[in-house]
Amino acid sequence: MPPKAAFYKANSIIYFRGDEGDKVFILNSGKVSLTYEDIETGQEMRDLVKVGEFFGVKSALGRFRREETALVLADCQVVAFSADEFELLVLKNIPLIMKMLKVYSNQLRRIQKQVQTLLGAEEHVDAAKGLFSIGEYYLRNKAYPQATYAFKRYLVYYPSGAAANQALKNIEVAEAYLSRYGTGKGPDVQAAGPAEKTAPQPQAADKAPASDAEQRYYRAVSLISQEKYEDALKEFKGLIAAGPDEEYLSKAQYESGRCLFYLKQYDKAIGLFTQWVQKYPKHPDLRDALYFVGTSYYNMNDKTKAAGIFKKILTMTPESESIYQKTRKLLKQIEGNP
Amino acid sequence: MDAFGEMFKRFLKTYQKGSLIFCEYEPGDNFFLIQSGRVQIVKIMGDIEKTLDVLKPGEIFGEMAILEEAPRSATAIAMDRVEALEFNRANFEVLMRGNPQIALKLLKLFARRVYDQKRRFMILTLEEVDAKVADVFLMLAEKEPVRMGEVETLELKTTVDDIAHWAAIPTADCRTVLNHFIQQRRIELFADRIVIKNLESFQRMVNSRRKPKT
Repeated sequence: MPPKAAFYKANSIIYFRGDEGDKVFILNSGKVSLTYEDIETGQEMRDLVKVGEFFGVKSALGRFRREETALVLADCQVVAFSADEFELLVLKNIPLIMKMLKVYSNQLRRIQKQVQTLLGAEEHVDAAKGLFSIGEYYLRNKAYPQATYAFKRYLVYYPSGAAANQALKNIEVAEAYLSRYGTGKGPDVQAAGPAEKTAPQPQAADKAPASDAEQRYYRAVSLISQEKYEDALKEFKGLIAAGPDEEYLSKAQYESGRCLFYLKQYDKAIGLFTQWVQKYPKHPDLRDALYFVGTSYYNMNDKTKAAGIFKKILTMTPESESIYQKTRKLLKQIEGNP
Repeated sequence: MDAFGEMFKRFLKTYQKGSLIFCEYEPGDNFFLIQSGRVQIVKIMGDIEKTLDVLKPGEIFGEMAILEEAPRSATAIAMDRVEALEFNRANFEVLMRGNPQIALKLLKLFARRVYDQKRRFMILTLEEVDAKVADVFLMLAEKEPVRMGEVETLELKTTVDDIAHWAAIPTADCRTVLNHFIQQRRIELFADRIVIKNLESFQRMVNSRRKPKT
Protein backbone atom coordinates (compact mmCIF):
# COMPACT_ATOMS: atom_id res chain seq x y z
CA MET A 1 0.00 0.00 0.00
CA PRO A 2 1.48 3.34 -0.99
CA PRO A 3 2.12 5.98 1.65
CA LYS A 4 -0.92 8.14 2.31
CA ALA A 5 -1.38 11.86 2.32
CA ALA A 6 -3.03 13.24 5.45
CA PHE A 7 -4.43 16.65 6.32
CA TYR A 8 -4.12 18.34 9.68
CA LYS A 9 -5.90 21.48 10.88
CA ALA A 10 -4.03 24.34 12.51
CA ASN A 11 -3.39 23.79 16.24
CA SER A 12 -3.70 20.03 16.01
CA ILE A 13 -0.91 17.72 17.11
CA ILE A 14 0.60 15.14 14.77
CA TYR A 15 2.39 13.42 17.62
CA PHE A 16 3.36 14.13 21.20
CA ARG A 17 6.72 13.88 22.82
CA GLY A 18 6.88 10.45 24.52
CA ASP A 19 4.58 8.79 21.96
CA GLU A 20 5.79 5.59 20.44
CA GLY A 21 6.81 6.57 16.95
CA ASP A 22 6.67 4.23 14.00
CA LYS A 23 5.92 6.76 11.28
CA VAL A 24 8.00 9.18 9.29
CA PHE A 25 6.37 12.27 7.81
CA ILE A 26 7.16 14.55 4.96
CA LEU A 27 5.64 18.02 4.92
CA ASN A 28 3.97 18.83 1.59
CA SER A 29 2.34 22.13 2.49
CA GLY A 30 1.41 24.23 5.51
CA LYS A 31 3.36 24.84 8.71
CA VAL A 32 4.53 22.39 11.36
CA SER A 33 6.77 23.10 14.35
CA LEU A 34 8.70 20.66 16.48
CA THR A 35 9.04 21.53 20.16
CA TYR A 36 11.54 19.81 22.39
CA GLU A 37 13.45 20.43 25.56
CA ASP A 38 17.06 21.43 25.25
CA ILE A 39 18.87 18.77 27.24
CA GLU A 40 21.45 21.18 28.58
CA THR A 41 19.29 24.08 29.68
CA GLY A 42 15.93 22.35 30.04
CA GLN A 43 14.45 25.20 27.98
CA GLU A 44 11.75 24.61 25.44
CA MET A 45 13.07 24.89 21.91
CA ARG A 46 11.14 25.18 18.69
CA ASP A 47 12.14 24.30 15.13
CA LEU A 48 10.05 24.91 12.03
CA VAL A 49 9.79 22.08 9.49
CA LYS A 50 10.40 23.29 5.95
CA VAL A 51 8.12 22.17 3.15
CA GLY A 52 9.67 19.06 1.57
CA GLU A 53 11.46 18.06 4.77
CA PHE A 54 11.11 14.82 6.66
CA PHE A 55 10.31 14.76 10.36
CA GLY A 56 9.92 12.04 12.98
CA VAL A 57 12.72 10.11 11.26
CA LYS A 58 15.10 9.36 14.07
CA SER A 59 12.61 7.92 16.54
CA ALA A 60 10.96 5.82 13.83
CA LEU A 61 14.27 4.44 12.58
CA GLY A 62 15.74 3.91 16.04
CA ARG A 63 12.42 2.54 17.36
CA PHE A 64 12.26 4.80 20.38
CA ARG A 65 9.74 7.30 21.65
CA ARG A 66 9.27 10.74 20.15
CA GLU A 67 11.58 13.31 21.63
CA GLU A 68 9.56 16.22 20.33
CA THR A 69 5.97 17.30 19.84
CA ALA A 70 4.87 18.01 16.27
CA LEU A 71 2.39 20.87 16.36
CA VAL A 72 0.50 22.13 13.29
CA LEU A 73 0.75 25.93 13.05
CA ALA A 74 -1.19 26.31 9.81
CA ASP A 75 -3.37 23.79 7.95
CA CYS A 76 -1.05 21.28 6.38
CA GLN A 77 -0.74 18.26 4.20
CA VAL A 78 1.78 15.57 5.12
CA VAL A 79 2.62 12.15 3.73
CA ALA A 80 3.04 9.48 6.34
CA PHE A 81 5.34 6.51 5.77
CA SER A 82 5.69 3.50 7.99
CA ALA A 83 9.26 2.95 9.14
CA ASP A 84 9.54 0.04 6.68
CA GLU A 85 8.22 2.11 3.77
CA PHE A 86 10.64 4.85 4.67
CA GLU A 87 13.52 2.38 4.73
CA LEU A 88 12.63 1.13 1.25
CA LEU A 89 12.47 4.71 0.06
CA VAL A 90 15.87 5.73 1.38
CA LEU A 91 17.52 2.55 0.13
CA LYS A 92 16.83 3.86 -3.38
CA ASN A 93 18.27 7.23 -2.51
CA ILE A 94 21.88 6.84 -1.50
CA PRO A 95 22.67 10.58 -1.42
CA LEU A 96 19.85 10.98 1.10
CA ILE A 97 21.24 8.21 3.31
CA MET A 98 24.71 9.72 3.14
CA LYS A 99 23.33 13.12 4.07
CA MET A 100 21.42 11.68 7.01
CA LEU A 101 24.47 9.72 8.14
CA LYS A 102 26.45 12.94 8.24
CA VAL A 103 23.73 14.71 10.21
CA TYR A 104 23.40 11.89 12.71
CA SER A 105 27.11 11.41 13.12
CA ASN A 106 27.47 15.11 13.83
CA GLN A 107 24.69 14.92 16.40
CA LEU A 108 26.28 11.88 17.93
CA ARG A 109 29.66 13.53 18.13
CA ARG A 110 28.13 16.58 19.77
CA ILE A 111 26.13 14.69 22.36
CA GLN A 112 29.11 12.52 23.18
CA LYS A 113 31.16 15.62 23.84
CA GLN A 114 28.42 16.91 26.12
CA VAL A 115 28.32 13.64 28.02
CA GLN A 116 32.10 13.63 28.33
CA THR A 117 32.06 17.16 29.68
CA LEU A 118 29.55 16.17 32.35
CA LEU A 119 31.52 13.09 33.27
CA GLY A 120 34.56 15.28 33.65
CA ALA A 121 37.99 14.01 34.45
CA GLU A 122 36.95 11.32 36.91
CA GLU A 123 35.83 8.85 34.29
CA HIS A 124 38.49 9.83 31.87
CA VAL A 125 41.14 7.15 32.09
CA ASP A 126 44.44 7.69 30.41
CA ALA A 127 44.24 5.51 27.29
CA ALA A 128 47.80 4.27 27.71
CA LYS A 129 47.20 3.20 31.30
CA GLY A 130 43.85 1.73 30.33
CA LEU A 131 45.35 -0.38 27.56
CA PHE A 132 48.07 -1.62 29.89
CA SER A 133 45.52 -2.51 32.56
CA ILE A 134 43.59 -4.63 30.05
CA GLY A 135 46.75 -6.61 29.45
CA GLU A 136 47.22 -6.99 33.19
CA TYR A 137 43.66 -8.18 33.59
CA TYR A 138 44.14 -10.92 30.98
CA LEU A 139 47.51 -11.89 32.37
CA ARG A 140 46.08 -12.23 35.89
CA ASN A 141 43.33 -14.39 34.45
CA LYS A 142 45.83 -16.49 32.53
CA ALA A 143 44.37 -15.54 29.16
CA TYR A 144 47.88 -15.38 27.70
CA PRO A 145 47.16 -14.71 24.02
CA GLN A 146 44.80 -11.86 24.95
CA ALA A 147 47.34 -10.45 27.39
CA THR A 148 50.05 -10.65 24.73
CA TYR A 149 47.83 -8.85 22.25
CA ALA A 150 47.08 -5.99 24.66
CA PHE A 151 50.72 -5.50 25.69
CA LYS A 152 51.88 -5.68 22.08
CA ARG A 153 49.37 -3.02 21.15
CA TYR A 154 50.64 -0.95 24.07
CA LEU A 155 54.15 -1.18 22.65
CA VAL A 156 52.92 -0.26 19.18
CA TYR A 157 51.22 2.91 20.35
CA TYR A 158 53.46 3.84 23.26
CA PRO A 159 56.88 2.41 22.37
CA SER A 160 58.55 4.72 24.87
CA GLY A 161 55.63 4.86 27.29
CA ALA A 162 56.08 4.69 31.05
CA ALA A 163 55.19 1.01 31.16
CA ALA A 164 56.85 -0.06 27.90
CA ASN A 165 59.46 -2.17 29.61
CA GLN A 166 56.98 -3.81 31.89
CA ALA A 167 54.82 -4.52 28.84
CA LEU A 168 57.77 -6.26 27.15
CA LYS A 169 58.40 -8.27 30.28
CA ASN A 170 54.74 -9.20 30.54
CA ILE A 171 54.69 -10.34 26.90
CA GLU A 172 57.59 -12.65 27.64
CA VAL A 173 55.82 -14.01 30.68
CA ALA A 174 52.58 -14.51 28.78
CA GLU A 175 54.31 -16.23 25.88
CA ALA A 176 56.44 -18.41 28.13
CA TYR A 177 53.47 -19.42 30.29
CA LEU A 178 51.35 -20.10 27.25
CA SER A 179 53.86 -22.53 25.83
CA ARG A 180 54.68 -24.06 29.20
CA TYR A 181 51.28 -24.29 30.86
CA GLY A 182 48.65 -23.36 28.27
CA THR A 183 45.74 -20.94 28.50
CA GLY A 184 44.02 -20.79 31.87
CA LYS A 185 46.87 -22.59 33.62
CA GLY A 186 50.13 -21.68 35.29
CA PRO A 187 51.20 -19.82 38.41
CA ASP A 188 49.52 -16.59 39.44
CA VAL A 189 51.13 -13.57 37.92
CA GLN A 190 51.59 -10.20 39.53
CA ALA A 191 51.49 -8.47 36.21
CA ALA A 192 52.93 -5.15 37.32
CA GLY A 193 55.11 -6.67 39.99
CA PRO A 194 58.87 -6.46 40.25
CA ALA A 195 60.79 -7.92 37.37
CA GLU A 196 62.43 -10.71 39.41
CA LYS A 197 59.13 -12.30 40.26
CA THR A 198 57.67 -12.31 36.79
CA ALA A 199 60.80 -13.21 34.87
CA PRO A 200 60.12 -16.38 32.95
CA GLN A 201 62.63 -19.15 32.86
CA PRO A 202 62.17 -20.62 29.43
CA GLN A 203 65.19 -22.83 30.06
CA ALA A 204 63.42 -24.48 33.01
CA ALA A 205 63.70 -28.22 33.39
CA ASP A 206 60.17 -29.18 32.32
CA LYS A 207 60.91 -28.16 28.75
CA ALA A 208 63.37 -29.52 26.27
CA PRO A 209 66.75 -28.01 27.13
CA ALA A 210 67.15 -24.70 25.38
CA SER A 211 70.06 -24.22 23.03
CA ASP A 212 72.92 -22.04 24.16
CA ALA A 213 71.89 -19.40 21.61
CA GLU A 214 68.33 -19.43 22.87
CA GLN A 215 69.44 -18.98 26.48
CA ARG A 216 71.72 -16.11 25.63
CA TYR A 217 69.03 -14.53 23.51
CA TYR A 218 66.45 -14.60 26.29
CA ARG A 219 68.97 -13.33 28.82
CA ALA A 220 69.66 -10.40 26.55
CA VAL A 221 66.00 -9.68 25.81
CA SER A 222 65.30 -9.67 29.52
CA LEU A 223 68.10 -7.11 29.94
CA ILE A 224 66.34 -4.91 27.38
CA SER A 225 63.18 -5.03 29.41
CA GLN A 226 65.16 -3.90 32.45
CA GLU A 227 66.41 -1.00 30.37
CA LYS A 228 69.97 -2.32 30.62
CA TYR A 229 70.58 -1.67 26.95
CA GLU A 230 74.36 -1.63 27.10
CA ASP A 231 74.48 -4.96 28.89
CA ALA A 232 71.92 -6.36 26.46
CA LEU A 233 74.00 -5.13 23.55
CA LYS A 234 77.08 -6.89 24.93
CA GLU A 235 75.10 -10.10 25.34
CA PHE A 236 73.84 -9.89 21.73
CA LYS A 237 77.39 -9.22 20.46
CA GLY A 238 78.62 -12.31 22.27
CA LEU A 239 75.75 -14.31 20.83
CA ILE A 240 76.44 -13.13 17.28
CA ALA A 241 80.17 -13.80 17.67
CA ALA A 242 79.42 -17.39 18.73
CA GLY A 243 77.90 -17.99 15.28
CA PRO A 244 74.34 -19.03 16.11
CA ASP A 245 71.90 -20.44 13.57
CA GLU A 246 70.16 -18.09 11.17
CA GLU A 247 67.08 -17.66 13.36
CA TYR A 248 68.99 -16.36 16.38
CA LEU A 249 71.46 -14.46 14.25
CA SER A 250 68.69 -12.41 12.64
CA LYS A 251 66.89 -11.96 15.96
CA ALA A 252 70.04 -10.89 17.78
CA GLN A 253 70.94 -8.37 15.09
CA TYR A 254 67.47 -6.93 15.05
CA GLU A 255 67.41 -6.60 18.85
CA SER A 256 70.89 -5.02 18.85
CA GLY A 257 69.43 -2.37 16.58
CA ARG A 258 66.66 -1.74 19.06
CA CYS A 259 69.22 -1.38 21.87
CA LEU A 260 71.15 1.17 19.84
CA PHE A 261 67.93 3.01 19.14
CA TYR A 262 67.00 3.14 22.82
CA LEU A 263 70.55 4.24 23.63
CA LYS A 264 69.91 7.08 21.19
CA GLN A 265 72.87 5.96 19.07
CA TYR A 266 70.78 6.65 16.02
CA ASP A 267 73.63 6.60 13.49
CA LYS A 268 74.61 3.13 14.55
CA ALA A 269 71.01 1.97 14.74
CA ILE A 270 70.41 3.18 11.18
CA GLY A 271 73.54 1.43 9.95
CA LEU A 272 72.61 -1.83 11.60
CA PHE A 273 68.97 -1.87 10.56
CA THR A 274 69.86 -0.88 7.00
CA GLN A 275 72.23 -3.85 6.75
CA TRP A 276 69.64 -6.08 8.35
CA VAL A 277 66.96 -5.02 5.89
CA GLN A 278 69.27 -5.76 2.94
CA LYS A 279 70.09 -9.13 4.38
CA TYR A 280 66.51 -10.16 5.19
CA PRO A 281 64.38 -8.35 2.62
CA LYS A 282 61.48 -10.76 3.12
CA HIS A 283 61.54 -10.87 6.93
CA PRO A 284 58.13 -10.29 8.59
CA ASP A 285 59.70 -7.61 10.81
CA LEU A 286 61.03 -5.74 7.79
CA ARG A 287 58.67 -2.79 8.11
CA ASP A 288 59.31 -2.53 11.83
CA ALA A 289 63.02 -2.35 11.10
CA LEU A 290 62.39 0.39 8.54
CA TYR A 291 60.24 2.16 11.09
CA PHE A 292 63.21 2.22 13.46
CA VAL A 293 65.38 3.63 10.67
CA GLY A 294 62.77 6.29 9.93
CA THR A 295 62.26 7.30 13.54
CA SER A 296 66.04 7.39 14.05
CA TYR A 297 66.32 9.95 11.24
CA TYR A 298 63.31 11.71 12.66
CA ASN A 299 64.91 11.91 16.10
CA MET A 300 68.14 13.15 14.53
CA ASN A 301 66.03 15.86 12.94
CA ASP A 302 66.81 14.62 9.44
CA LYS A 303 63.22 15.10 8.34
CA THR A 304 63.87 14.59 4.63
CA LYS A 305 65.40 11.15 5.05
CA ALA A 306 62.80 10.21 7.68
CA ALA A 307 60.01 11.19 5.28
CA GLY A 308 61.61 9.10 2.53
CA ILE A 309 61.67 6.01 4.73
CA PHE A 310 58.15 6.61 6.03
CA LYS A 311 56.80 6.95 2.50
CA LYS A 312 58.46 3.68 1.61
CA ILE A 313 56.78 1.95 4.58
CA LEU A 314 53.41 3.32 3.50
CA THR A 315 53.78 1.91 -0.01
CA MET A 316 54.40 -1.58 1.31
CA THR A 317 51.80 -1.66 4.08
CA PRO A 318 48.02 -2.06 3.88
CA GLU A 319 46.22 0.92 5.38
CA SER A 320 44.52 -1.28 7.91
CA GLU A 321 47.74 -2.09 9.74
CA SER A 322 48.72 -0.14 12.78
CA ILE A 323 52.24 0.50 11.52
CA TYR A 324 50.66 2.29 8.57
CA GLN A 325 48.79 4.59 10.94
CA LYS A 326 51.82 5.22 13.15
CA THR A 327 53.96 5.98 10.15
CA ARG A 328 51.37 8.21 8.55
CA LYS A 329 51.08 10.21 11.77
CA LEU A 330 54.81 10.89 11.91
CA LEU A 331 54.87 11.68 8.22
CA LYS A 332 52.03 14.15 8.68
CA GLN A 333 53.94 15.79 11.51
CA ILE A 334 56.93 16.21 9.24
CA GLU A 335 54.82 17.55 6.41
CA GLY A 336 53.01 19.82 8.85
CA ASN A 337 56.20 21.53 10.05
CA PRO A 338 59.06 20.75 7.74
CA MET B 1 30.58 -16.06 0.87
CA ASP B 2 27.86 -14.03 -0.81
CA ALA B 3 28.26 -11.76 -3.83
CA PHE B 4 28.76 -8.79 -1.55
CA GLY B 5 31.55 -10.49 0.33
CA GLU B 6 33.13 -11.42 -2.99
CA MET B 7 33.05 -7.79 -4.09
CA PHE B 8 34.84 -6.60 -0.97
CA LYS B 9 37.25 -9.50 -0.69
CA ARG B 10 40.27 -7.25 -0.38
CA PHE B 11 38.93 -5.93 2.93
CA LEU B 12 38.45 -9.42 4.37
CA LYS B 13 40.28 -10.31 7.57
CA THR B 14 40.24 -13.61 9.39
CA TYR B 15 40.52 -13.99 13.14
CA GLN B 16 41.10 -17.25 14.97
CA LYS B 17 38.74 -18.28 17.71
CA GLY B 18 39.58 -16.53 20.96
CA SER B 19 41.74 -13.83 19.42
CA LEU B 20 41.21 -10.15 20.10
CA ILE B 21 40.05 -8.11 17.12
CA PHE B 22 40.64 -4.94 19.02
CA CYS B 23 41.14 -4.03 22.61
CA GLU B 24 39.54 -1.43 24.83
CA TYR B 25 41.57 1.84 24.93
CA GLU B 26 43.35 1.01 21.69
CA PRO B 27 43.15 3.89 19.22
CA GLY B 28 40.54 2.90 16.67
CA ASP B 29 40.37 3.91 13.05
CA ASN B 30 38.58 1.04 11.41
CA PHE B 31 35.28 -0.74 11.75
CA PHE B 32 34.07 -4.19 10.87
CA LEU B 33 31.24 -5.99 9.18
CA ILE B 34 30.95 -9.64 10.24
CA GLN B 35 30.83 -12.15 7.39
CA SER B 36 31.01 -15.35 9.42
CA GLY B 37 31.38 -16.34 13.06
CA ARG B 38 30.35 -14.49 16.20
CA VAL B 39 32.04 -11.57 17.92
CA GLN B 40 31.80 -10.96 21.62
CA ILE B 41 31.97 -7.37 22.82
CA VAL B 42 33.30 -7.16 26.38
CA LYS B 43 34.35 -4.50 28.80
CA ILE B 44 36.51 -5.01 31.82
CA MET B 45 34.89 -3.43 34.83
CA GLY B 46 36.87 -3.73 38.02
CA ASP B 47 37.92 -7.33 37.95
CA ILE B 48 35.11 -8.74 35.87
CA GLU B 49 34.94 -9.14 32.14
CA LYS B 50 31.42 -8.13 31.28
CA THR B 51 29.81 -9.18 28.01
CA LEU B 52 28.02 -6.23 26.45
CA ASP B 53 26.91 -7.95 23.28
CA VAL B 54 27.32 -10.95 21.03
CA LEU B 55 27.23 -10.02 17.36
CA LYS B 56 26.41 -12.25 14.41
CA PRO B 57 27.14 -12.18 10.67
CA GLY B 58 25.72 -9.08 9.02
CA GLU B 59 26.30 -6.94 12.08
CA ILE B 60 28.65 -4.01 12.37
CA PHE B 61 31.06 -3.24 15.19
CA GLY B 62 33.72 -0.66 15.96
CA GLU B 63 31.62 1.85 14.01
CA MET B 64 32.42 4.75 16.33
CA ALA B 65 35.79 4.90 14.59
CA ILE B 66 34.01 6.47 11.63
CA LEU B 67 33.37 9.53 13.75
CA GLU B 68 36.70 10.06 15.33
CA GLU B 69 39.88 8.31 16.23
CA ALA B 70 38.96 7.90 19.88
CA PRO B 71 40.15 4.97 21.99
CA ARG B 72 37.93 1.90 21.70
CA SER B 73 35.33 1.78 24.43
CA ALA B 74 35.22 -2.02 24.55
CA THR B 75 37.11 -5.12 23.48
CA ALA B 76 36.04 -7.28 20.53
CA ILE B 77 36.84 -11.00 20.74
CA ALA B 78 36.35 -13.64 18.04
CA MET B 79 34.06 -16.27 19.60
CA ASP B 80 34.48 -18.54 16.60
CA ARG B 81 36.76 -18.33 13.63
CA VAL B 82 35.60 -14.94 12.42
CA GLU B 83 35.73 -13.46 8.96
CA ALA B 84 35.03 -9.76 8.88
CA LEU B 85 35.37 -6.97 6.35
CA GLU B 86 37.49 -4.19 7.72
CA PHE B 87 36.91 -0.62 6.63
CA ASN B 88 38.27 2.75 7.56
CA ARG B 89 37.15 6.30 7.03
CA ALA B 90 38.89 6.45 3.66
CA ASN B 91 37.02 3.56 2.06
CA PHE B 92 33.86 3.97 4.11
CA GLU B 93 32.04 5.98 1.50
CA VAL B 94 32.80 3.44 -1.24
CA LEU B 95 31.24 0.76 0.93
CA MET B 96 28.16 2.84 1.71
CA ARG B 97 27.54 3.80 -1.91
CA GLY B 98 27.81 0.21 -3.00
CA ASN B 99 25.68 -0.99 -0.11
CA PRO B 100 22.79 1.15 0.98
CA GLN B 101 21.67 -1.70 3.28
CA ILE B 102 24.75 -1.24 5.41
CA ALA B 103 24.35 2.52 5.32
CA LEU B 104 20.81 2.10 6.58
CA LYS B 105 21.92 -0.26 9.31
CA LEU B 106 24.50 2.27 10.38
CA LEU B 107 21.95 5.04 10.23
CA LYS B 108 19.69 3.14 12.62
CA LEU B 109 22.61 2.39 14.90
CA PHE B 110 23.51 6.07 15.03
CA ALA B 111 19.91 7.14 15.63
CA ARG B 112 19.78 4.74 18.56
CA ARG B 113 23.14 5.92 19.87
CA VAL B 114 22.13 9.57 19.74
CA TYR B 115 19.04 8.70 21.74
CA ASP B 116 20.96 6.58 24.27
CA GLN B 117 23.56 9.28 24.77
CA LYS B 118 20.90 11.96 25.21
CA ARG B 119 19.20 9.76 27.75
CA ARG B 120 22.51 9.28 29.53
CA PHE B 121 23.03 13.01 29.53
CA MET B 122 19.63 13.46 31.20
CA ILE B 123 20.67 11.08 33.97
CA LEU B 124 23.94 12.88 34.53
CA THR B 125 22.34 16.31 34.80
CA LEU B 126 20.42 15.24 37.90
CA GLU B 127 22.19 16.44 40.99
CA GLU B 128 21.36 13.95 43.71
CA VAL B 129 22.72 10.44 43.64
CA ASP B 130 19.37 8.83 44.48
CA ALA B 131 17.67 10.66 41.62
CA LYS B 132 20.39 9.49 39.24
CA VAL B 133 19.85 5.90 40.30
CA ALA B 134 16.08 6.28 39.95
CA ASP B 135 16.53 7.71 36.46
CA VAL B 136 18.71 4.75 35.49
CA PHE B 137 15.76 2.53 36.48
CA LEU B 138 13.52 4.60 34.22
CA MET B 139 15.97 4.45 31.35
CA LEU B 140 16.28 0.66 31.64
CA ALA B 141 12.49 0.39 31.90
CA GLU B 142 12.11 2.36 28.66
CA LYS B 143 14.03 -0.36 26.88
CA GLU B 144 11.51 -2.95 28.08
CA PRO B 145 8.47 -3.73 25.94
CA VAL B 146 5.97 -2.96 28.72
CA ARG B 147 4.48 0.47 29.35
CA MET B 148 4.49 2.21 32.67
CA GLY B 149 1.30 1.59 34.62
CA GLU B 150 0.61 -1.68 32.84
CA VAL B 151 2.51 -3.78 35.31
CA GLU B 152 2.83 -3.77 39.09
CA THR B 153 6.45 -4.75 39.25
CA LEU B 154 9.19 -4.65 36.69
CA GLU B 155 12.18 -6.93 36.59
CA LEU B 156 15.35 -5.39 35.18
CA LYS B 157 18.26 -7.61 34.20
CA THR B 158 20.99 -5.45 35.63
CA THR B 159 23.57 -5.29 38.38
CA VAL B 160 24.80 -2.77 40.94
CA ASP B 161 27.93 -2.23 38.82
CA ASP B 162 25.82 -1.51 35.74
CA ILE B 163 23.71 1.04 37.51
CA ALA B 164 26.74 2.69 39.04
CA HIS B 165 28.26 2.85 35.57
CA TRP B 166 25.20 4.47 33.99
CA ALA B 167 24.82 6.93 36.84
CA ALA B 168 28.59 7.59 36.80
CA ILE B 169 28.83 7.20 40.57
CA PRO B 170 31.08 4.98 42.68
CA THR B 171 29.72 1.46 43.16
CA ALA B 172 29.76 1.91 46.94
CA ASP B 173 27.53 5.01 46.69
CA CYS B 174 25.23 3.17 44.34
CA ARG B 175 24.92 0.31 46.81
CA THR B 176 24.05 2.74 49.61
CA VAL B 177 21.23 4.23 47.54
CA LEU B 178 19.95 0.80 46.55
CA ASN B 179 20.01 -0.36 50.19
CA HIS B 180 17.96 2.66 51.09
CA PHE B 181 15.40 1.77 48.39
CA ILE B 182 15.36 -1.82 49.67
CA GLN B 183 14.62 -0.61 53.21
CA GLN B 184 11.77 1.45 51.82
CA ARG B 185 10.55 -1.75 50.11
CA ARG B 186 10.62 -0.06 46.75
CA ILE B 187 13.00 -2.52 45.12
CA GLU B 188 14.39 -6.02 45.56
CA LEU B 189 17.99 -6.63 44.69
CA PHE B 190 19.32 -9.91 43.33
CA ALA B 191 22.73 -10.82 41.96
CA ASP B 192 21.66 -10.54 38.34
CA ARG B 193 18.45 -8.49 38.47
CA ILE B 194 16.55 -5.78 40.27
CA VAL B 195 12.80 -5.89 40.83
CA ILE B 196 11.20 -2.45 40.80
CA LYS B 197 7.99 -2.38 42.85
CA ASN B 198 6.53 0.93 41.80
CA LEU B 199 8.11 2.48 38.78
CA GLU B 200 5.80 5.47 38.81
CA SER B 201 7.04 6.56 42.22
CA PHE B 202 10.54 6.72 40.75
CA GLN B 203 9.19 8.66 37.78
CA ARG B 204 7.64 11.22 40.16
CA MET B 205 10.86 11.44 42.09
CA VAL B 206 12.91 12.15 38.96
CA ASN B 207 10.36 14.65 37.62
CA SER B 208 10.40 16.59 40.85
CA ARG B 209 14.20 16.79 40.85
CA ARG B 210 14.47 17.78 37.22
CA LYS B 211 13.50 21.41 37.47
CA PRO B 212 14.06 23.30 34.26
CA LYS B 213 16.83 25.79 34.75
CA THR B 214 16.02 29.34 33.80
